Amino acid sequence: MPARQDISSILIIGSGPIVIGQACEFDYSGTQAVSALKEEGYRIVLVNPNPATVMTTPGLADAIYAEPLSADYVREIIAKERPDAVLPTMGGQTALNLALELYEAGTFSEFGVEMIGATVNAIRLAEDRGRFKQLAGELGIEVPNSALIGDLEAALEFKGQSGLPIIIRPSYTLGGQGGSIAETEAEFAELISNALAVSPVHQALVEESLVGWKEYELELVRDKADNTAVICSIENIDPMGVHTGDSITVAPAQTLSDREYQQMRLAAMNIMRKVGVDCGGSNVQFAVDPDTGRMIVREMNPRVSRSSALASKATGFPIARCSAKLSVGYTLDEVVNEITGKTVSSFEPALDYCAVKVPRFELKKFPHGHTQLGTQMKSVGEALAIGRTFPEALNKAVCAAEIGYEGLEELDMGYDGLDKMLETAHPLRLWAAYTVIRREGKRAIAALSTKTGFDPWVLYNLSEIAEVEEELADAGSLHSGSNSGEPGFDLLLRAKRAGLTDRRIARRFGMSAAKLTALRLSLKLQPGYHLVDTCAGEFSAETPYFYSTYGEIDEGDPLGSEAVLIIGSGPNRIGQGVEFDTGCTLASLSYRRRGIKAVMINSNPETVSTDFNISDRLYLEPVHPEFVQSVLQKEGIRKVVVQLGGQTPLNIAEELADSGIEVIGTSVAGIQRTEDRRQFSELMTSLGIRQPRNLTALSVVQVHEYAAEIGYPVLLRPSFVLGGQSMSVAFTEKELELLLHTQLEVDEQHPVLVDQFLEDAFEYDLDLLCDGQNVYIAGLMQHIESAGVHSGDSACVFPAYKTSTEKNQEMYRVATTIARALEVKGLLNIQFALKDEELYVIEVNPRASRTIPFLAKASGVNLVDAAVHVWTGGNLEELGLCTDGFGVGTPLEKWAVKEAVFSFERFERLDPLLSPEMKSTGEVMGSGDSLGEAFLKAQAAAGSTLPKEGAVFVSVHDKDKATILPIVQELSEMGFHILATRGTAEYLFTHGVFPEVVLKLHEGRPNLADYLRSGKVQAIINTPMGQFSQHDDEQVRIQAVKLRIPYTTTSTAAWATLQGIRYARTQQKLVRPLHLSKDLSRN
Amino acid sequence: MQKQVFLVLDDGSLLKGIAFGAVAPTVDEAAKQAEAGIGEVVFNTGMTGYHEILTDPSYIGQLVLMTYPHIGNYGDHEDWSESEVPGIGAAGLIVRSVYRGAVPAGRESLHSFMERRGIPGISGVDTRALTLKIRTSGNQKGMIVSPSEADTLSNAETAACITLLTGYPDMEGRDIVSQLQERREAALDQGLDEGKTAQKAEPARYSKKKNLHVALIDFGYKANIKRELIHRGCRVTILPAGVSRREVDAIGPDAVLLSNGPGDPAVLGGPIQLASDIGKNYPLFGICLGHQIISLAFGAQTYKMKFGHHGLNHPVRDEESGRVYITSQNHGFAVSGEALLPEGLELWMKNANDQTIEGIRHRKKRIASVQFHPEAAPGPYDTLWVFDEFLSIAQGGN
Repeated sequence: MPARQDISSILIIGSGPIVIGQACEFDYSGTQAVSALKEEGYRIVLVNPNPATVMTTPGLADAIYAEPLSADYVREIIAKERPDAVLPTMGGQTALNLALELYEAGTFSEFGVEMIGATVNAIRLAEDRGRFKQLAGELGIEVPNSALIGDLEAALEFKGQSGLPIIIRPSYTLGGQGGSIAETEAEFAELISNALAVSPVHQALVEESLVGWKEYELELVRDKADNTAVICSIENIDPMGVHTGDSITVAPAQTLSDREYQQMRLAAMNIMRKVGVDCGGSNVQFAVDPDTGRMIVREMNPRVSRSSALASKATGFPIARCSAKLSVGYTLDEVVNEITGKTVSSFEPALDYCAVKVPRFELKKFPHGHTQLGTQMKSVGEALAIGRTFPEALNKAVCAAEIGYEGLEELDMGYDGLDKMLETAHPLRLWAAYTVIRREGKRAIAALSTKTGFDPWVLYNLSEIAEVEEELADAGSLHSGSNSGEPGFDLLLRAKRAGLTDRRIARRFGMSAAKLTALRLSLKLQPGYHLVDTCAGEFSAETPYFYSTYGEIDEGDPLGSEAVLIIGSGPNRIGQGVEFDTGCTLASLSYRRRGIKAVMINSNPETVSTDFNISDRLYLEPVHPEFVQSVLQKEGIRKVVVQLGGQTPLNIAEELADSGIEVIGTSVAGIQRTEDRRQFSELMTSLGIRQPRNLTALSVVQVHEYAAEIGYPVLLRPSFVLGGQSMSVAFTEKELELLLHTQLEVDEQHPVLVDQFLEDAFEYDLDLLCDGQNVYIAGLMQHIESAGVHSGDSACVFPAYKTSTEKNQEMYRVATTIARALEVKGLLNIQFALKDEELYVIEVNPRASRTIPFLAKASGVNLVDAAVHVWTGGNLEELGLCTDGFGVGTPLEKWAVKEAVFSFERFERLDPLLSPEMKSTGEVMGSGDSLGEAFLKAQAAAGSTLPKEGAVFVSVHDKDKATILPIVQELSEMGFHILATRGTAEYLFTHGVFPEVVLKLHEGRPNLADYLRSGKVQAIINTPMGQFSQHDDEQVRIQAVKLRIPYTTTSTAAWATLQGIRYARTQQKLVRPLHLSKDLSRN
Repeated sequence: MQKQVFLVLDDGSLLKGIAFGAVAPTVDEAAKQAEAGIGEVVFNTGMTGYHEILTDPSYIGQLVLMTYPHIGNYGDHEDWSESEVPGIGAAGLIVRSVYRGAVPAGRESLHSFMERRGIPGISGVDTRALTLKIRTSGNQKGMIVSPSEADTLSNAETAACITLLTGYPDMEGRDIVSQLQERREAALDQGLDEGKTAQKAEPARYSKKKNLHVALIDFGYKANIKRELIHRGCRVTILPAGVSRREVDAIGPDAVLLSNGPGDPAVLGGPIQLASDIGKNYPLFGICLGHQIISLAFGAQTYKMKFGHHGLNHPVRDEESGRVYITSQNHGFAVSGEALLPEGLELWMKNANDQTIEGIRHRKKRIASVQFHPEAAPGPYDTLWVFDEFLSIAQGGN
């Protein structure tokens, strides 16, 4: 049966900003859905305010709205576009919840919009834990003993029956947010009230603890004819008790017998049937008691998910793409399996490899006692690796996670520390288990399995890695005296087959990784590449999607030296997210449009770049020098793109260039002149460009000396860091001492950069394109937060909102000078600070910055495409971007605002104060005719509703009082009730504003916390000073995050908030699609 | 200590691996008694179910290569056996990696099970390369062989292996069913009555149908076929492959089911004749080899496939309803194309991937059969309904 003819346009709802629990997997699913439905001839309308995504690239969907994902804005879009149908299953929980809200508000029926992909009933059945439990019961499938509760009393009653521990899950939240395990009587009540607070329906499920059970997920698709297929089974290595997003997982399931697996499969299919998902994908999660085999169904998601993205990459079966086809009436046997090109989608992929996922945490960013994993997801990204065996895949995946390990390595730690890790769900628990096995061998397995819940099969496989390492250690130590030892062919082959990197093996022989690689190549030990073909070799595959292994057949002929390799950005992390994947993806498409073969290497299963349709060839491999080099050798490729994947590819640029590979665009010498502090300072001096004063300290004493020399405040950071990791400002010597004591390590190996900190400066971000000569300023953006807040965390406005034309011109001039001096080919990012009318260059990045996708969308210019044009020998004048060697990008609407989005609610008791250390996980944009409109939309898109009336709480530092005054005055004139702490109130009082004084937390009750809790505060203006703020301030901010009250911590942000509120009071809601201002595709 | 073992193919390829399971014969031993470790190499793409596969009588005369690299992960249990008789099942197992660690309580390791059962195994083989080779050039004969000395196979030994393989019968034209009967009888003499163990399985789950008496003709039936019939309240009588029409009449069943089994269906003259005879008076059904026998009996042709279907993920479309089911499959022969079906037979089901025939029905008589394995074991339960369909056809008018 062909696709439905009775509908012609479809609205797809995206998932909005990247937050923990909802990341770029929905860019992947959304992008797949857009292309799958567009090729059927439908008109596709997309709404997603996340500019960092591929899916919002103009030209992909027919109409793209970067507008807030709220019922009121989407209603406007529906009224304007009049789509026939809406597909809500591609944008995660956000899209499902929004669709339900629009349905309940009657918007769909008002405009005659049909929901496709999942029915309202199915969504409710799957989400409503009470009804789901009943449904499973009717199917004869066991569910955990549980109760749906709306208050503490009911929770206590359940506790009486079942006893502790108890799992608490709030209804309708993302990624298990607000979920917890209550183990003690003392914490029970607090955990319950937390859960109820975060649930939009004020409900939570309390259930018997299955901690320690084995955990499985099945990914299914089902069509309208009831044809159902299980695409992938996933087994969690971490037993129950750790959120599945935080677990190390392996596909396919490893330790289920055929009978156990078939029963689980049948249960999953029956559940999907009963819930009524009849044209799309779903995910069903199970727990199995390792002692009795008792199987319990835990939950079901009637949509594509993080796991389905993972399953798609692990199997080669594009679940989202297929689901989109099913949603418009196809049946599974009508959808061709693109990998083989000849089989159909109504089959179940057979794997002849293991796919292991390792999550990536930001433990250093969120340090305050958040290391124990639980039912609430905390990881910010993940890496997937494929290997022929589990040990190989596991070691590759750990390496791919880029967390400082070359694979699953032993920890340098005593048994006390190891035991602590083994007994809790520590992120490095598997490392701890490996360490014990390394020391004690196989005999440790049984006890370790009992202690950790890791299956003996997993631990046995670790012991096989340990045995190889032991042999390497023996071989290494034999020769340690003579230092001439090297592994023989057989041992080296076994080590490579176990997934050990050259660097890791080399250590055992006291040689460099390069030397070991040379030895390996001289022994003709190169990886072989296998195809991910969905069918274990049964059919020949047409789509070249590869992974590496050793000692086996090598499939696929080399593409040769004309192709380019695009190096991806690896797992998402703070500071390196979907925006870099978008760059890599668009570059691949752009090269291919120009007839040049593009090959992608990346390890992030969530992304669009690891969709096998994006590149001529896809290598799902760690973004690690050894793996990159091997791919280059395999393909005979001589050219690599390192500018687009963030810092990860840039870090290996030098090594690649040294081995004779051409780094496309800006030369490695040019890159080094910006990355090496000394060279950079010399360059700036020679060009006559001002920098903040800076010195590099190699000892604690030097830090103090230099700080005094430069003058406080000073900015401190270790050299070579990403996203401002461990960056801090010290305002006084006392603060400096504390920092050196608690956070910074300084010695000759760990130099610390001491910079003059430009307090209260305005900061700017400038992105440009240069073809070596012509310069196109893609955009000049001004930060809303002041210097001292990481640029990635600051809202920024395009164009700059508070500068003179002269200063803008000066920035353009300086940028052009730098670009030409560095002979930039491609993209360059410069950060400026303006203080007392003096311009400083703070930082220069010789690559695509995180603002490139935002600027591309805000200005309507595909900047990556333009960069590829330059890289393939073109110039910017041909593209119409420059005249007389220069051009400047302007916004499509008058104003565009990019706002950072945080996941603070994941980390209770974490102060959401912004600092030089980046903490945001995602971004959104808003645009409009006024800055107020753009800012309001950006805030709404970020999930923060600016109030039109009510009360504003003000508590500001002395230095900010004068700047805040006019803002508070205007708010007061608008009719806002002003609340203030005593000090601020006194100041306001003497200047004609009459606030109500609110007690600080320690001053008695009712205090500010009580006001917040009782809903008496609609916005907060609270500017602290320095990193070591008062306990009070911290508590206020933590409360605000929990209660979703807009809060600002700088005076400029308060000013922007005022603009937004002013616009909000006009009640206007205008929606405008993104479009291209310059179509580059003809060049 | 790990022991070296070799896989020799009839094209002269020699693959080295690590031994597990029963000790593979040396070439001299194999020459004397050529059964264990020798046969046609087939690959199976199932990611679970190695135990059921190893004990499936249809694999007699075949070495099974599992394409999934980790085999043995969850251990083995005799309850899962499709046949409990040593020698009735696969002749050897070829894997990338075999698990040698602890298995759940009450189970035994794959190594120990295969050792007990007399099945040799070889691990550490590049199973993907071998799979691609079979996909490209079709099934090959192979043998798992122990070196007589040290850990290499001498040139003379390799040459002797190839001679043995050349002399080993081709699957095409091979009657393995009669061989199976001999082994069954030998097993009975040793007190191993397979029928009994299958019968004790589980009580009936379905009671709505009248208790039918089904004669299951044993060409190498999988125990789960019998279990599924018993679950449906049937009384099952197992009859040997060489049974005569008169013997069937003597027990007077309500329906006859021709089981799965090994080898080439086209050479089974007796069974084909029997099917054509009893199809006149009895509701007649078939699974796998049984399906091929019925097809041949009513005028269709069969042919040897290049490498067959062996896996748990094959899509089969019911041509009447349009529904597609994921099925368990294990066959190297198939019924020739739709266009070649004789007038009396109609197409019931087709493979959605390669359009081969997966099920036929008689236009007038109560006869139906399927190529795939509705009894699963191993594999998905999607087509258990086929048993209900058979029984319902059996009960429908006359």
